[in-house]
Amino acid sequence: MSTDAVEQVVADEATSPESIATAAPTPVLQLQDFCVDYGVGARAVRAVDRVNLRVDRSKVLGVAGESGSGKSTLVYGFTRLLRAPAVISGGSALFTAGPSREDSGEELIDLVGADEATLRRLRWTQISVVLQSALNALNPVVRVGTLFDAVYRAHRSDMSRAERRARSVELLSLVGLNEDRLQRFPHELSGGQRQRIMIALALALDPSLVIMDEPTTALDVVTQREILNKLAELRARFGFAMIFITHDLSLLVELADEIVVMYAGRLVERARARDLYESPRHPYTLGLLNSFPPMHGARHELTGIPGSPPDLSQLPSGCAFQPRCPYAMDRCAREQPPLAPLDEAGRYVACWLHVAGEHATVPVELRRAAPSSRDGGSGA
Amino acid sequence: MSDADVPVSVLQSRHLTRHFRVRVAGQGWRRRVVHAVDDVSLDLRAGEVTAVVGESGSGKSVLARVLARIIAPTSGELYLHGEPVAATSRRTLAYASDVQLVLQDPFGSMNPVHQIRHNLERPLMIHGAARQEVRALSEAALRRVSLEPPERFLDRYPHELSGGQLQRVSIARALCVRPKVLLADEPISMLDVSVRLGVLNLLRGLCDDEHLAILYITHDIASARYLAEEIIVMYAGQVVEQSRGTALVDDPTHPYTQLLIASVPDPVNPVAAAPDTGEQNLSTIATQGCRFHPRCPRAMDICRAQEPPAYLVGEAHTSKCWLYRDHPGAPVELAIPRRRGEGVTTMT
Repeated sequence: MSTDAVEQVVADEATSPESIATAAPTPVLQLQDFCVDYGVGARAVRAVDRVNLRVDRSKVLGVAGESGSGKSTLVYGFTRLLRAPAVISGGSALFTAGPSREDSGEELIDLVGADEATLRRLRWTQISVVLQSALNALNPVVRVGTLFDAVYRAHRSDMSRAERRARSVELLSLVGLNEDRLQRFPHELSGGQRQRIMIALALALDPSLVIMDEPTTALDVVTQREILNKLAELRARFGFAMIFITHDLSLLVELADEIVVMYAGRLVERARARDLYESPRHPYTLGLLNSFPPMHGARHELTGIPGSPPDLSQLPSGCAFQPRCPYAMDRCAREQPPLAPLDEAGRYVACWLHVAGEHATVPVELRRAAPSSRDGGSGA
Repeated sequence: MSDADVPVSVLQSRHLTRHFRVRVAGQGWRRRVVHAVDDVSLDLRAGEVTAVVGESGSGKSVLARVLARIIAPTSGELYLHGEPVAATSRRTLAYASDVQLVLQDPFGSMNPVHQIRHNLERPLMIHGAARQEVRALSEAALRRVSLEPPERFLDRYPHELSGGQLQRVSIARALCVRPKVLLADEPISMLDVSVRLGVLNLLRGLCDDEHLAILYITHDIASARYLAEEIIVMYAGQVVEQSRGTALVDDPTHPYTQLLIASVPDPVNPVAAAPDTGEQNLSTIATQGCRFHPRCPRAMDICRAQEPPAYLVGEAHTSKCWLYRDHPGAPVELAIPRRRGEGVTTMT
């Protein structure tokens, strides 16, 4: 990943001199105070709580967190794929629809208020989703070719059978599969091949934003690496932006430009990928990073994060992470920390440890120098 | 490493092999034999974790099931406490009480219509525990996996527990018949990030405190490095590289191990692009020569013609690859196990 790519992500904060030099990139997606509840009324559970984020054109945003942290609910929320009892209870999701076939101008659409017809126009052609379990996401009783056909029939009714077939073969070759796969049923393919089919389907109509919900979690490392290489290649060629959800932070550091970490429905930290990895500021991020045994260095016992994620219907008072946090202070149990900008390039963190005046209490492992501040953002 | 340093083997396999006859779709339903486990010799030692690492389809789960004798081997021998086990015969209750298997998906391996109590008590009853001590034993089993207080869990149903808790219950269930060997087939791959380490540390503790011999099957080579005293890499049913300690991860010698390690996302050493070598399936596994040669970036003529033996490439570190044919050390054939009490002190 080029270092200017990393640069541009933080241009909206305009805190570093380099970012001023770069022209402001266009956001593909901008979430403002986005909230999703499960259920309504007194028993509603807030699964996504006032999330603010933006994804710039051709950039990769990583979303990390444990199961139940709300990362999938977040993306299914703004793509409007959630069904009752999930309700979008607040905020907006501004999507910049790219030039489409009919009209060549860009238009700004709030996905939260969009009607079915608008959504139908955007889905797949502008925003597409790759789901975690490819076997469950592919219709098991039709051949792969039929799946591709269905996409074109729904969105490009002007295409002839021969054109559809030619385009399907082209897409398969993009993800490195032979055209004979079109005649196969999903169960006849390996996990990696199925996930490649999912990716090919997602790219079928050249979307500007692709959402990947743990696309490699069910795969083993070698297949995962091949899928990641393929994705990098396709992104370089088509320039789509990507939201990549995973719990594997080390994977995100390689892949993403910017990473947000979610806990109990809220963003707890947001930073450039490299900064987040080398200098985490939130105790939860540090815990997540310490949950992966390293591939290098001496072996020593790791502790990870004690306890388990909170029940969203009975969130602890104050900061939701406070019962599991080794650095919890009195204030943490009383007040919820806001996601506040830190005095560094594009960094936001929701933790009282970093609030001005209490800096003396920041533990050393949570104030390591960030690579972008150390060497002026020229990368690692 | 000399004999004295290495603890006593509890379960040993010699030339263990399991073939499956299949018909291949897309190739005119041609008959083929899949060598799921091929000539695997390993020693599981008391108080040690042995990790088996490999891709999906490398035969690691079949190996665990053959060792648990749920699947009968095609050939080869098994020794429990140095005594030969009639490997091809049916599994006996005595064998099952010594060798227990923990599966990947805790939700799938518990009976969902019964409480945890039933799921824990049933193996105890089958293994002949007295009715009055069953409750105490199942509570003790839950304590051993740090599910406390046990009363809180006994009356729950599997769906009421989290994945991490349920995996602890399935480890407790395996432990309640006091096995000497625990075969753990990808015990953490379905669990959440923050609870994975807890389960790994639990396995480590059981191994250290109770001298269990643990076989840890995984595709996550970093967790194998974290946990294991010995690491074995399998490809297409064969052991391709094996080392004690972390030598295999720190200094991989077999091209397949190198590929595995290069594929791990590693922010410390990001790889620009790992070679795209295709995947392991029937068409990329060679039937002649080294099984890995169609995907191997360093394949030579001899690799296509002849299967390599395992060469000694370091201290207690072997690699089944022709690249090391000029290495001075000769491969060591694992000895046929000594019987209990023959010259070595045994651990009980």
